[in-house]
Amino acid sequence: MLIELALRNLARTKVRSTLAIIGIIIGVMAISSIGIFGESLKAVILENFKDVANEVIITPNYVHGYTSIDARTVKKIESIPFAELVIPVKSESALVECKEKKTYATVYGMDVRKTKELFELEKGTYKGCLVGSKIAEFFKLRVGSRITIAGREFRVSGIIKEGARFDINPNYAVILPLRDFDRIFSEEYSMIIVKVESIDKIEAFKEAVNKIVNRKESKVSVFEMKIIIERIKRVFEKVTLFLMAIAGVSLLVAGISILNIMLMSTIERTKEIGLMRAIGAYRETILKLFLTEALILGLIGSVVGGALSLLGGYSIDMLILKTAKYAFTPSSILYVLIGITFGILTALISAMYPAWKASKLEPIEALRYE
Amino acid sequence: MIELIDVVKKYRIGVHEVIALNGVSLSVRDGEFVAIMGPSGSGKSTLLHLIGCLDKPTSGKVLIDGLDTSKLSDRELTELRRDKIGFVFQQYYLIPTLTALENVELPMVFKGISKEKRRSRAEELLELVGLKGKKDRKPNELSGGEQQRVAIARALANEPSILLCDEPTGNLDTKSGKVVMEIIKRLNVEEGVTVVLVTHDPSLKVYADRVIGIRDGRIVNAD
Ligand SMILES: Nc1ncnc2c1ncn2[C@@H]1O[C@H](COP(=O)(O)OP(=O)(O)OP(=O)(O)O)[C@@H](O)[C@H]1O
Ligand SMILES: [Mg+2]
Repeated sequence: MLIELALRNLARTKVRSTLAIIGIIIGVMAISSIGIFGESLKAVILENFKDVANEVIITPNYVHGYTSIDARTVKKIESIPFAELVIPVKSESALVECKEKKTYATVYGMDVRKTKELFELEKGTYKGCLVGSKIAEFFKLRVGSRITIAGREFRVSGIIKEGARFDINPNYAVILPLRDFDRIFSEEYSMIIVKVESIDKIEAFKEAVNKIVNRKESKVSVFEMKIIIERIKRVFEKVTLFLMAIAGVSLLVAGISILNIMLMSTIERTKEIGLMRAIGAYRETILKLFLTEALILGLIGSVVGGALSLLGGYSIDMLILKTAKYAFTPSSILYVLIGITFGILTALISAMYPAWKASKLEPIEALRYE
Repeated sequence: MIELIDVVKKYRIGVHEVIALNGVSLSVRDGEFVAIMGPSGSGKSTLLHLIGCLDKPTSGKVLIDGLDTSKLSDRELTELRRDKIGFVFQQYYLIPTLTALENVELPMVFKGISKEKRRSRAEELLELVGLKGKKDRKPNELSGGEQQRVAIARALANEPSILLCDEPTGNLDTKSGKVVMEIIKRLNVEEGVTVVLVTHDPSLKVYADRVIGIRDGRIVNAD
């Protein structure tokens, strides 16, 4: 009956109730759509890193005086079962020349068969000297061009596609097959890139490294790409939260409008409240009646807003990300639920003061109110 | 049994004090029909509100069935009003969004009575006041007299022992006023409901067992 009464009271001021509901719809839609967009944005960014998520980089432990990794250590690491792919890398800074131009670049040496696991080529083949796109641009190199590295001449066999990695910057790199590299530079490794079977085996892999390689002395340090990805994730979650908070302002406005209409209706219905108190309604009953009315407004507005926010999220995704493949994921549903929760809470919190005020009315004063 | 002992009610308007009731003592026996008569502003409504526990006296005591109402909490007072007292006001005060039937049900809703029981009792009561055929009408689809009869049915919903009427015929023409008064009288005679009626209309005297005069907040001729 209380719900019935609440519904009829809302129906009595249809325009007002409708406006309040629209306010909540907009607020919830704003919050949830932005949430969905933020989540999609994060997913799109992380998509770029999904190949490196299971990568681990092993470097010499400089703190303990190690500046390179020896072949025996590489062998040991290759023997760890969780290591799916082990790419030992040598590197050295060297002068690179081509015709009149010269520059310093980091030259890497690695197994020719494994380079294709790390880089995509724009042109040419993996067999031989590879150069990054920026280097190629600088020297105006093409496949077959000649360059001089630390005094020796090489023929460019491939140009690396533009990209991003944390360990090796592919755009500025010059990569030589190990055999060629060894002819110019020292013979120890500067890092090992390891692809672990799966992300949840990374911990086990790290433990194995510590047991096998770092048993007596801490020779190498292990760095997981996962950590960077976690950081990026966290940053994007914060950005999403921030954007949602801004969108939340619209819900605040909706809340104020509910506060306003509820106050109006307590005043308009003062006599009714007095009558109900006179014939046996507790203060809590009056309180509940008003909160029920707000709850109904909040519930309708939030559910409709929540449903529309899927559409909103989809539209923003299409507009900004040009793809909507992340618009309807389980986490989108989470953001819809967050929006709905906030919508309902806003309605309830806004109605608290008017409802409290109505419940505090003295029956006789309310009845005599003109 | 209603007892008032030296009841004073003062209102404060800014710095001024209005004495609405100035030491009223009276008692009403169970099943009695008492009319309280006096000119406008004499304190009739104030008196009725104090009896009905809608308001508290500045000093003095109001006892309902021997219970000192000044000692009761707001919750207990609410329950007392709900279970023992029925109000009929000059302005009816029906809830405009509810039908006649639902208005009659409302006190039973507050008491937590089940839907079926509520329904059948409300229908009985509407029949009693002669509005059986109009139970689904909203207040604005009823005449003043009909609205007042709905209000009487509502007042009786929780089978109160006391019916308090404040100018129940004040807004009605003579004919519908008579219908309303006869219903009230019948309840008093047949059901033994105690009735306290306040009015300035001398023609209602005939319904009462006893008439009490009030003037400037004092009882003048309690007989
Ligand atoms: N809430 C209030 N604040 C201030 N004064 C009040 C209040 N209620 C009543 N009074 C004053 O108390 C006195 C008695 O009022 P009351 O309403 O009891 O008179 P009444 O006999 O019912 O009059 P009427 O026949 O016009 O209804 C009046 O002088 C009135 O102005
Ligand atoms: Mg009066």
